[in-house]
Amino acid sequence: MDYSNQIRDIAAKLFAEGKIDVFVGYRMSGFDDNQVPVVITDPKETSVLVFTEKSVFNLTNYLKADHTRNKRVGLVVKGCDSRSLNLLLTESQVKRDKLYIIGVACEGVVDDKGNKMQNCMECFIPDAVVYDEMLGKLQGKKDYIVNADITELATKGLVERREYFEEIFENCIRCNACRHSCPLCYCAKCCIDQETSTLYNGTNTSSSAFHALMTWSLHLAGRCVDCRNCEKACPSHLPLHLLHKQNEKVIYENFQNHLAGVEEGDRGAFYKYSLKDPDDFIM
Amino acid sequence: MARVGVFVCFCGANIADFVDVPTVVEEAKKIRDVKFAIDYKYMCSDPGQQMIRDAIVQHRLTSIVVAACSPRMHEKTFRKALSDAGMNPYLLECANIREHSSWVHQKDKKGATDKAGDLVRMAVAKSIANEQLHEISVPVTKRALVIGGGIAGIQAALDIADARIPVTLVERSPSIGGRMSQLDETFPTLDCSQCILTPKMVDVASHPYIELIPYSEVIELDGYVGNYKAKIRKKASYVNFKTCTGCGACSQKCPVKVPNEYNMGIDKRKAIYTPFPQAVPNKPVIDAEHCTYLLKGKCGICAKVCEKGSIDYKMVDEVIEREIGAVVVATGYDLWDATPYEEYGVGRYKDIINSLEFERMVSANGPTGGVPVRPSDGKVPKTVVFIKCVGSRDKAKGIEFCSKICCMYTAKHAILLHHKVHDSRAYIFYMDIRAAGKGYEEFVNRAQVETGAVYLRGRVSKIYQKGDKLMVRGEDGQLGQEVEVEADLVVLATAVIPDKGNPALARLLGISYDKYGYLSEAHPKLRPVETAKAGIFLAGCTQAPKDIPETVAQASACAAKVCGLFAGDTIKKDPMVSTVSKEFCSGCQNCVKVCPYQAIVTEDIPLGHGAKEMRTVAKINEGVCQGCGSCVAICRSMAINLAGFTDPQIINEIVAI
Amino acid sequence: MEAESKDKIVSIEKPELIAPPDWKPVIMGILCNWCSYAGSDLTGTSRTQYPPNIRIIRVPCSSRVDPWFIIKALQTTADGVLISGCHPGDCHYISGNYYARRRFLVTKELLKMVGFHGHRVQFSWVSAAEGAKFAQVVKKVTDDVVKLGPLHLYKKENFNR
Repeated sequence: MDYSNQIRDIAAKLFAEGKIDVFVGYRMSGFDDNQVPVVITDPKETSVLVFTEKSVFNLTNYLKADHTRNKRVGLVVKGCDSRSLNLLLTESQVKRDKLYIIGVACEGVVDDKGNKMQNCMECFIPDAVVYDEMLGKLQGKKDYIVNADITELATKGLVERREYFEEIFENCIRCNACRHSCPLCYCAKCCIDQETSTLYNGTNTSSSAFHALMTWSLHLAGRCVDCRNCEKACPSHLPLHLLHKQNEKVIYENFQNHLAGVEEGDRGAFYKYSLKDPDDFIM
Repeated sequence: MARVGVFVCFCGANIADFVDVPTVVEEAKKIRDVKFAIDYKYMCSDPGQQMIRDAIVQHRLTSIVVAACSPRMHEKTFRKALSDAGMNPYLLECANIREHSSWVHQKDKKGATDKAGDLVRMAVAKSIANEQLHEISVPVTKRALVIGGGIAGIQAALDIADARIPVTLVERSPSIGGRMSQLDETFPTLDCSQCILTPKMVDVASHPYIELIPYSEVIELDGYVGNYKAKIRKKASYVNFKTCTGCGACSQKCPVKVPNEYNMGIDKRKAIYTPFPQAVPNKPVIDAEHCTYLLKGKCGICAKVCEKGSIDYKMVDEVIEREIGAVVVATGYDLWDATPYEEYGVGRYKDIINSLEFERMVSANGPTGGVPVRPSDGKVPKTVVFIKCVGSRDKAKGIEFCSKICCMYTAKHAILLHHKVHDSRAYIFYMDIRAAGKGYEEFVNRAQVETGAVYLRGRVSKIYQKGDKLMVRGEDGQLGQEVEVEADLVVLATAVIPDKGNPALARLLGISYDKYGYLSEAHPKLRPVETAKAGIFLAGCTQAPKDIPETVAQASACAAKVCGLFAGDTIKKDPMVSTVSKEFCSGCQNCVKVCPYQAIVTEDIPLGHGAKEMRTVAKINEGVCQGCGSCVAICRSMAINLAGFTDPQIINEIVAI
Repeated sequence: MEAESKDKIVSIEKPELIAPPDWKPVIMGILCNWCSYAGSDLTGTSRTQYPPNIRIIRVPCSSRVDPWFIIKALQTTADGVLISGCHPGDCHYISGNYYARRRFLVTKELLKMVGFHGHRVQFSWVSAAEGAKFAQVVKKVTDDVVKLGPLHLYKKENFNR
């Protein structure tokens, strides 16, 4: 999977035609063979753009930043990225007419060691769902697979799960990198930071981490697109996807196979309801 | 620093017998912010309230906790006591130590006392976060909108207008009158339906306080109680009502024939038509779907014959806007389509009709001049089988509920048949006879005795054709044997269902409807004419199947509600509404989607101080907000809070124990 | 009742922790104003008895309940949480309980995954007429939580306020 040349050409063309002010893509990090996001405003710089299976980050995160706000933006999206973009569009955070979206039929990206990422192996929407231009051969929708880690956790006992998660929450340093890297965490001020909010807790203990991460994952429930930006950003290497994938599984299985951001105009599972929703867990 | 006063009530022995009240007072005194705590025999009594008033002044209290009965019982009483002492009434919190403690833990005095202490602690913690709130008063536009011009809408409009309140009556068809205008005679008195309805229709047309907008539909309703804005689409009639004299020459000459809705499609009307002779307004309209001129640009006969030149083919739909304060919905009923009853041959046999078709046939102004005939050959039927509960009370094929009016109108049909065709006989298959009402049972007896109608208790299992007769096979449950009736005509009393436009209308109005499409009342017993949305009322069969007297009664009740609402210049509203902190709002607009009352809109504010760029944030209309808190819980930015139930208040309660 | 028990009560999530002999569970009950709170009042007026461990908070609608109320309660005072609202279709605010129902299921499943026993967080629909049902529900939740023992997960020593 290498669309570097096409993306360079498209970006150059878009700049030449005056269709965009900013282009968000990937470039080589310069240190190793990993890639980092790049925000280009100068048409001459389009030659640094690359796109390969190392293009791991979800670039829609950069749409909430000041340097792209209210500008005409061109950007590259993979399947998962396009789903978060879909949500950003629905939640009025970006305007469709300001975007030029290069969709990629993604074959999956790899981690530092060159192994295909877990979310890519379980990916069910590899092709971008919203785009102006499509690169690569469409692969079509695949079946939803329950995350392997979640399946494994389900076999463990209560005490074992408790111990496992206690360690996770213990290791959280409350740096909020997960939040900043998440494209869907765009609140003006996060509820966890609002001094007036009772969620606010400056201390760094496992209980405050528990509180913050649980609230965070519930705010993303039915919206998380499993791009794993948060995990890539986490300095403690916490398996944050467990929280999101658990919510995703519960929502998929109980709420009419709901998957975040797949359909245009869908706001997420908590902002709609069905009379057929399960009721048997309620007395 | 908060200064809380705690008042613990004995409630005679109700609380004191099972909760150690002095201990609760002692526990309350230990709470940091409590500056005053006392008990009394009956806090709600005058001396009790006086204690609260005195303590507020003496101890400069900033909030009050009354530990007594349920807030649903006496919250208002104590709020008034606070008000009287010059304190904001919303600084009161009630700790429910009667219903939630003394009465339910009568065998565990220690447990009950501990719990009462905790409940007081929680109430004190909440009261510290209480804010001063003020009742919201919203101005009222004194004009009512009545949707539907059947008997319900007519009655509601007349009653409201008689109180000198302007009414806009919107009717979908070219004339008001509704289903009642299609009826021949009414049970149980057999007075002529048209004779009692027509004067009311004329009254509507001539009433100075009623604005009648026929041939139109409500397409939009914005706003909130007292301040609605309605958009009404007036369909193009292609006839200038101002100059038209209603002479009828156009209809006579029109060459296009269309099934006549008023007569349930039994005969034909023209493409330019007045629905029925007594129509109000008595002016024709052109049916654009069938008019040759409008479809193909040829013909134009009606324009040629109209001496007044009232025909205007270029007329277009018009949108009328009205500011109104209250809405009465009276969209009426329809009959269920009995096609699922395959064993009856519905649709296959021409001589199976529904009760409204029969009603039109026996009606003096009907297509057959008041004589029932067989649709197949036009002969007068001698043996007529009536089948009740077709679709009603049938969970499998139709609808679970009882349609309520069929027992009575079928008895009426039997009598009418006897009057029109003296040597005929009616056979009525029924499940039960439900004749609850003044003079109803007597009326059914009359049908049985006077006309010799044969009532057979049982279901019909099959109808098949034999020669030109229909063989109706059923069971006589009382004899326990199968019967077969050779019928000339079969009349089905199909289920009464709401107008099929109801769900769309309900969504447009922002009210709820049940699984059948009936609009939902606010409370099935105590608020049967109101909806959950303030200022919208229900009359007639749009809420549930009803007969004429009940419909009229409900319509008049709606009128009383509307008049009550309009009695003052403003409406007082509870201040428990949501508010948005614009600073924190991220503008995702999920709250707009979730709000059941469409109380949330968006507004654009500058991105920062003095910035030119704008951002969109949510804005709550406090007049519309009912204070459910749905938006508060879904707001991830915590930008919304609900007065009286703010996050700090609830969290204070949670952590107080 | 739990105090009389001869067996030592241990926390189900942390079996190494044994409850003190005088331990009594605290159930945080969050009830909607129109159905469940009215129902709980009816339980009182009909003098139906239930265990005194529940502490009741009144909210306008079950949809007012933010999932982190549950988290907050479990982290601070409560050993168990009961949330109760109107039956589906009966919501005073038309659709509030449908939204709430979705959040409750996801919250409960998430809490279960991270090591809370499912009985710590329970939900019920109690109408204004179901006073007897409310008593049964409270009894069941209390019995369940007594069996689970005290909750010791992620407790905050010092609350915010």
